[in-house]
Amino acid sequence: MQETTVALSDFVSTQVLDRWKGIKKVAREEYFTSGHRTCQGCESALVMKLMAKAAGPRSIILGATGCMYVANTTYYSTPWVVPWMHTQLGSSGSAATGTVAALRAMMRKGKMEEEPINVISFCGDGGGADMGLSAISAALQHTHYNLLIFMYDNESYANTDIQVSGSSPYGANSTFSPPGKVQRIMHRRWKKNTAAMLAAGHPDCKYVATVSAGNAIDTMNKVRRALTIGGPTFIHSLDPCPKGWDYDPKYSHEIGELAVETGIWPLYEVEEGKVKMYGKSKHIASGAFKRKPVREYLLRQGRFAHLAEEDIAYFQGKVDEMWEKWLVPGVIPFANA
Amino acid sequence: MSTGSVEVVYRGIFQKTLAKNICRGIVFAAKNEGKIGIAFGRYSDSPERNGIPAKQFAVVADTEEEMEEHLSRYEPDNNDVTIAADDTLCKGVECWAWYGLQPINKLLKEGGTLLIPSTRSVNHLIGEIHRKGMPYNLAIVKGTASFSGLWVYKDDHTDVRLLGALAKVAPHIVSLDSILATIDDRLKATSAKKAYDLVESVSVGANQGNDEVPFEFEMPGWTEMEEGLVIRGIAGQQEVPGRDGGYVPTRNPTFKKFSTRTMRPVVNFDTCTQCKICWLQCPDSCFDITPDGFYDANMEACCGCGVCEAVCPVSQCITMVNEEAFTDNDSQWELWIEDKESYSGWLSEKISEPPARSHGFHHVGQYAEEIANEPS
Repeated sequence: MQETTVALSDFVSTQVLDRWKGIKKVAREEYFTSGHRTCQGCESALVMKLMAKAAGPRSIILGATGCMYVANTTYYSTPWVVPWMHTQLGSSGSAATGTVAALRAMMRKGKMEEEPINVISFCGDGGGADMGLSAISAALQHTHYNLLIFMYDNESYANTDIQVSGSSPYGANSTFSPPGKVQRIMHRRWKKNTAAMLAAGHPDCKYVATVSAGNAIDTMNKVRRALTIGGPTFIHSLDPCPKGWDYDPKYSHEIGELAVETGIWPLYEVEEGKVKMYGKSKHIASGAFKRKPVREYLLRQGRFAHLAEEDIAYFQGKVDEMWEKWLVPGVIPFANA
Repeated sequence: MSTGSVEVVYRGIFQKTLAKNICRGIVFAAKNEGKIGIAFGRYSDSPERNGIPAKQFAVVADTEEEMEEHLSRYEPDNNDVTIAADDTLCKGVECWAWYGLQPINKLLKEGGTLLIPSTRSVNHLIGEIHRKGMPYNLAIVKGTASFSGLWVYKDDHTDVRLLGALAKVAPHIVSLDSILATIDDRLKATSAKKAYDLVESVSVGANQGNDEVPFEFEMPGWTEMEEGLVIRGIAGQQEVPGRDGGYVPTRNPTFKKFSTRTMRPVVNFDTCTQCKICWLQCPDSCFDITPDGFYDANMEACCGCGVCEAVCPVSQCITMVNEEAFTDNDSQWELWIEDKESYSGWLSEKISEPPARSHGFHHVGQYAEEIANEPS
């Protein structure tokens, strides 16, 4: 009789993906290539390219509905070199779990050769932080499946022309929150803290990170770490969106860097329960780098063009609080009562 | 009894509000004349993306029956006037995958008018516009293209100037008086009237113009598509003669994106330090790696976002130049390898022409400054 039970440890074998030390070591192969109908200067397209490059050729990529589905694969056309499949808005987590389980079953039955295959499921902030949160949560609890959920966050439902999502920042102009004559600020919620929420809430998830594509090498190395640590992992990327944030596309890189330098977007990784800041955020946390004022970031974007001084002051106050009052600065809120 | 239609081809998002203002203006003016008008965007262009060509239409009719007849079509294909809101659109438009590159005058009817705001000469533009089998008119309103973003609109009177010019070239659609009656602002009305007086129109003969045949595809019918709508992936690398040892990624053959470009990067290979940052940061993977380790922006794939210029650490190594200064998509690196001295001359000639437009919002108050600095 054929052996049907396999030890759990066999399932968590992963590919070997070393850390790339510097730009010279980065692979030159592209697995997400030219010919996608994204905006000029689309940072999410860049993130897809970096993600696919970091994962390498033996990968399967799944994508929930959003810009990176609709813009990339219009009518019978694709820029993907590796296999890619569309999944529904809320199901990036379940699609990832199902794909890994299916691959394992195929390998167990001898229908395909046994090998570790990277499974990455991406979603936007609408698909991930709003609609798909429960499925992602479930995926992060299945610790014996190797998969990465990658959330590209452009702070709105950008594909349907910029509606407010749980990730939209305070005060931003959007189709759902146009500033009016009577009321200037139509969106008053503070951005959802998705990465930290998932890290804090899923103690068995070994790896959660935030990234910014302005920091391309780090971004790729975080993807490589997430794919090799074993088990389900989560990465949250802040992607400046020239269309919805309303800025000249050539500033995509700069705006992403400003988000980090102003402290609005902290870069950190949570590996087996330990938080580690990296990049400029590390120096902000240690006090070696003084945070830039948030106005430098806000006034560069058309979506904040209507903010008055008091709104900018409020925004600054909330960011100050994040770094000065939070239990883990930049990551976990709460204070002792 | 008659109908008339106007097609507005524009840069997605950057000119969305401008196109809307033009089409709305036509409808309101038609109403002033007792006609029926309707304005609409093309569904398949939605969601719009920054810079990718998109279209809106305005249709004017005397009776409801005529209007209904006109609207039963997918898009008005026999237009009295085509307005190209940006002169770089003259090189052709590729709005989405499998659409191919379509001539800017494709949907214009015989004897219709192509209306363009431009600072270029008539002959320059005719040289770019693909040939059409029938004669039409080319009208130019002097001025640079107006670009703004999704939320903040640059109100530089381009909308009313184009409406004024439209009244001159197609008075049977709307008259100047009915256009002026829709404009409240006195300064804007003056701009419209000025454009009416100053618009230049020339006739273009059948088969006059650019003889390039735009690329096309064979569209698979639904019976030819694979089960489960499987699309075959594309190969990783292209074998290109003379590029051994370099790396040219395979590119999506059914969407090329270069018609999105309004300016292109020009690379100074003499000062390039091969730092790879442009290659790594390009969202469109447009840089080919050459055998000698340079990064050659492929003009079939570049969409002209300008990120490479912004991230390049060497001063003036990558410079964005107005797309109107080029007539082909040839490799710059090959030109440089062939003759470095003449390349250096070519380069300094090209970079002497900075793009006369901004691609949207830079900082609060910028549009007001730009309008104040523009020559009236």
